[in-house]
Amino acid sequence: MKRIFATMTGVAATALLAGGCTEIDQTAKTQKVYAGKKDERPYDGKTFGDDKAKWQQALAERNRGQNEYLRTEPAKK
Amino acid sequence: MARMKFICDAERCIECNGCVTACKNEHEVPWGVNRRRLVTVNDGKPGERSISVACMHCSDAPCMAVCPVDCFYKTEEGIVLHDKDLCIGCGYCFYACPFGAPQFPQAGAFGLRGKMDKCTYCAGGPEANNTAEEYKKYGRNRLAEGKLPACAEMCSTKALLAGDHDSITSIYKTRVSRRGKGEEVWGWAMAYGQGTEKITGDAKGGTKA
Repeated sequence: MKRIFATMTGVAATALLAGGCTEIDQTAKTQKVYAGKKDERPYDGKTFGDDKAKWQQALAERNRGQNEYLRTEPAKK
Repeated sequence: MARMKFICDAERCIECNGCVTACKNEHEVPWGVNRRRLVTVNDGKPGERSISVACMHCSDAPCMAVCPVDCFYKTEEGIVLHDKDLCIGCGYCFYACPFGAPQFPQAGAFGLRGKMDKCTYCAGGPEANNTAEEYKKYGRNRLAEGKLPACAEMCSTKALLAGDHDSITSIYKTRVSRRGKGEEVWGWAMAYGQGTEKITGDAKGGTKA
């Protein structure tokens, strides 16, 4: 009887110890989905009148302004 | 149009804090909240460098992954924004962010935190464009006015570049090929994926190393 009890305790202890080594998967099981309000696109509204190309043109102009080489050196003809 | 990004050129930044001030002023950011700030390494020693740091609008944003209320979203232009009406101010995003971008206003006594505030790339938030409500919660929506972020446009040495990926990397490549050094772009590998820490080559046919 004592022997069976000792064996069972040993098996339980081994299972517990082995359980400590298990790595739990930490990757999300579900896809994260935005739960808030829908945002407008930057070109929506009266400034650009839903015209994406016009908005992109305005930004490209601003982008060129960041390149001082274009300002300091005349464009090659 | 490619996605919007920031580049901070450590060779050019003179630690003037113009970007920090421009951001504060443009959005009426309250005391204790710094959407953009300057970090200086080797201060006062040879090799001193300063970098302007804010939300980098990461490709795979960790703040979005950890938010328990899913208040983050990404726009078509790759800008990471959040809905303040949903935010519970838990601070998980602050712990996840490698750039320390999320900021929390002191909303009351005993260190009580308010709703998270961070750089919006001057693109406002989920309210109608350029309305008083949007301004109050998120600041000015310059993007909807066809303008780039105030910090980059205010930068006197043009160390801070903002805009569409192709345009700003082209500008940076020209600089690198002219000066022959400084191709390392701080924070790029962390924010936009491995293997993009250096932008080398000439403006026409440069390669991303």
